[in-house]
Amino acid sequence: MSFRTRLLAAFGVVVLVPLLVFGLGIRTEMSRRVTGEYERRVDALVGVIRADIARETDRIAGRLAALKTSLADDNTFRTDLVRGGGGGGGGGGGAGGAGGDRGYILDYAGNAMRLAGLDFLQIQNDEGRVVSSGHFRNEFERLGPAIPHGGAALVRAAAAEGPFLALVTSDSLRLGKTLRLIGGVAVDSSFLARLTRDPELGVALALPRDSVRADSTASVVAVVTLPFVDAADGPGQVEQARIVVTRSDAFLSALQRNVNLWFSAAVLIAALFALLLASWLSTRISSPVEASIRDMERRVAIGDMARQVNHDVKNGLAPLRNVFRHLTQVARDQPADLPVVFTERQGTVESSISYLETLAANYARLYPQSERRSTDVNTVVRDTVAGSGTVRTKLAENLPPVSADALVLRRVIENLLSNAVDSLEGKAGTVMVTTEGGNGVVRIAVSDTGRGMSKSELDRAFDDFYTTKPGGTGLGLSIVRRLILDSKGSLKVETEPGKGSTFIVEIPVQ
Amino acid sequence: MYRYFMPAHRVHVAIGVTLLAACATPQIGRSGGGVAAAPAEVASEPCLLSTGDVTTRPRTITIGLTEPVDPRHAPIARNDAERIVFRHLYETPVRVDCQGNVLPELAEKWVREDDGRRWTFRLRDDAHYWDGAPVTAQDVVYGKGGVGYTLAAPDPRVVTVALAKPRGDVPAVLGDAALAVAKAAPDSSWPIGTGRYWATSATTTPREIRAHSERGDTLVFRLAPPAPPTSGDARDLLDAGVDLLVTRDRALRDYAATLPNLAIVALPWDRTYVFVTAEAGGSRFDGLEQAVRAEARRAEGGFWWLDLRACGAASGHGISSPAPAAATPRRILYARADPTARELAGRLAALTHAATAARAPDDLSAAVAGGKEWGYVIALPRITTDPCRAAKDLLPSWAATITALVDTRATAIARRGVARWTVDQDGTVHQ
Repeated sequence: MSFRTRLLAAFGVVVLVPLLVFGLGIRTEMSRRVTGEYERRVDALVGVIRADIARETDRIAGRLAALKTSLADDNTFRTDLVRGGGGGGGGGGGAGGAGGDRGYILDYAGNAMRLAGLDFLQIQNDEGRVVSSGHFRNEFERLGPAIPHGGAALVRAAAAEGPFLALVTSDSLRLGKTLRLIGGVAVDSSFLARLTRDPELGVALALPRDSVRADSTASVVAVVTLPFVDAADGPGQVEQARIVVTRSDAFLSALQRNVNLWFSAAVLIAALFALLLASWLSTRISSPVEASIRDMERRVAIGDMARQVNHDVKNGLAPLRNVFRHLTQVARDQPADLPVVFTERQGTVESSISYLETLAANYARLYPQSERRSTDVNTVVRDTVAGSGTVRTKLAENLPPVSADALVLRRVIENLLSNAVDSLEGKAGTVMVTTEGGNGVVRIAVSDTGRGMSKSELDRAFDDFYTTKPGGTGLGLSIVRRLILDSKGSLKVETEPGKGSTFIVEIPVQ
Repeated sequence: MYRYFMPAHRVHVAIGVTLLAACATPQIGRSGGGVAAAPAEVASEPCLLSTGDVTTRPRTITIGLTEPVDPRHAPIARNDAERIVFRHLYETPVRVDCQGNVLPELAEKWVREDDGRRWTFRLRDDAHYWDGAPVTAQDVVYGKGGVGYTLAAPDPRVVTVALAKPRGDVPAVLGDAALAVAKAAPDSSWPIGTGRYWATSATTTPREIRAHSERGDTLVFRLAPPAPPTSGDARDLLDAGVDLLVTRDRALRDYAATLPNLAIVALPWDRTYVFVTAEAGGSRFDGLEQAVRAEARRAEGGFWWLDLRACGAASGHGISSPAPAAATPRRILYARADPTARELAGRLAALTHAATAARAPDDLSAAVAGGKEWGYVIALPRITTDPCRAAKDLLPSWAATITALVDTRATAIARRGVARWTVDQDGTVHQ
């Protein structure tokens, strides 16, 4: 793992871990607050429902009290009731309503109900039979709903078009006979809608025999109970109805999804920015460090080589120094023996010299030996660029041959072409080799449209071990310049950052 | 309910009720038969409404209508308002008065032949359509006919009726509304009739129909405004001073009793409400008369639908089973525009724990024919000149149990001394 990668990973961990912890904390806190807010809203809604029902019941009771007063003062009603128009028998009443004006009594509740703004009004006799019904005129003599005295109750009441639900309360009066007034308002979707003050909470009515709906999208969060009488087919009996407050799971799920979505998006965006920042910082930090390391490594390599050369040369010189000292000593002390000794030690001297020559030859192989001869520059250029599709050539005709080693020339052009292609950095661009003759030289120009060089880069371009390419040795241009100088030629550079560079080699003609 | 009448009216009401008492039980075919019956022998005076002497005859008479009138129904009426309007615009060969007497109309005289198996009617010489075209016997018989009789036109002025069974009195079937003579109008509005009054789309507006006679008289049929609370009710008609208004609403009748110079006369019992169901057996329902606001009595007497054997398969009555009824809920259908039907249906619903539902007249007819509901409250004419046609038009073809509920009758509210109003056997009031 490279230094930059490690640096990047370290930055990522340092930035992302706190970010994740922070985001999870926000998400948990948000869920807790939403839940708390819901609970407060549910409690408030239950209170509102209870208050609404109580207020509606009071309103109905007030109207029943007014009706009771009006009824007590109504002599026509009383007279017809006493004469037998108030039910208790099936027959009676001809075309004109004989036996008391039954029509007046039958119509009474309807008219009173409309005037009172009620949806349900029954006048029952002491047997619980309907004397007059406002919502269902012709149900007279049926047994009405047996609701508890006082307070509110829900009634499933019969009507001509079918049963309906009503919130009712009752009152009673004595008019010769004991009568009971039951009044109410319809409990329909609009009634429930009025109870539902919070759009995110639902209010539904569950009657005793209602099958439980398997509504997987809502949760019951509160229940308000009311007495209930199913009087659609008879007086019924008191049971319990429930007003159920539900919360939409779909809404909460959607909220949860949104929170998670925004949380994920925030984390991703923050992570992306963190990675970009870490990448930039690691690049800024690692680049000079890596350059220093490369320079150090190069210097270490040079030092190693120098030590090796020093060691090798010393190895070759040590026998020679010993032989020379021996011969000096013999010449001083025993001159007569000098020829003999020289003969004896001649092998050692020769062996050491041979060793040093071999050593020199071996080191020389690290540096090419040029062999100057008549060379056609165009031929060398064509051979060099052959098979390279990215390099274009523009070669002058009838160039005079130059005095240079073709292999050296080829190595020079290869180096320059390699640098030119690398300077494009993988982008679209042009690398071109042109040749021309004149003024006793042949000119080879290698130009590119790559990154070019700054002034400082150009100043160091020909230094040993200076490079801008990752992994480069920094010896390319240095060797090129040396080879050209060995060939009695010259090298010039024209460059501009961002626009490219042109390396011009001039070789004297033969 | 007459206790609300003003004392000055009571005498007239009593006279009216007395005169129409006979109309309450009219019988078909009471006109004097004989080999060559003379129409002039039949007296129609008993069928006059007692609304006082007519001293000055106004050229324009206004009749209030409390129900809608649709020219597309002409000449066969579907409600009381259409009966009054159509009665003035269209004619049948004969008409039957409140006592069952057959009177001339398009036919001026008739002869009994072949021991009562064949009757020959001669059309009035001056019988003509509103556009002036003469009425021919072919116009009378074309496309017409029914169970038990056959019409023919051997001569342009002569219509013959061949009966399956001989009868001694004049066949009243020629007074059936289905035999009214009319032809299509170019403007597709009112069919062109032969009555004394004529009307066209140009004389018809949503609020009134103006019918004119060749003598320059005008009948203005003024329609009640839409039901309250939109803009008012039928009492506005009385306040506006109509000369005649026929209603079944006792409240309206009671209101009229408080107004001066109006005669209030009960008309014949002309309508019987029945409960039609596929369930076998009959039921007795209590409190029906009290359940309705119309003037009603418990249905009584012989009903024409009890014996339809003469109609055979042609009537279609009772020859097939109804479609299976829906399991729940039990519903009773009634005509939306008929308050009495609604009230009776409500009472039946209260007694049987069923529910009611209103239908438009055409939809109710289709529902009755289909027989998919538990029951239907429908109105039938108390008396009909052609029971087979009535059965075919009004009763279901499936085997139904028909329970008579109540008889109802309308009340005529007429301005005194304006016109002489006559009552037909079906309760129609006309000039």
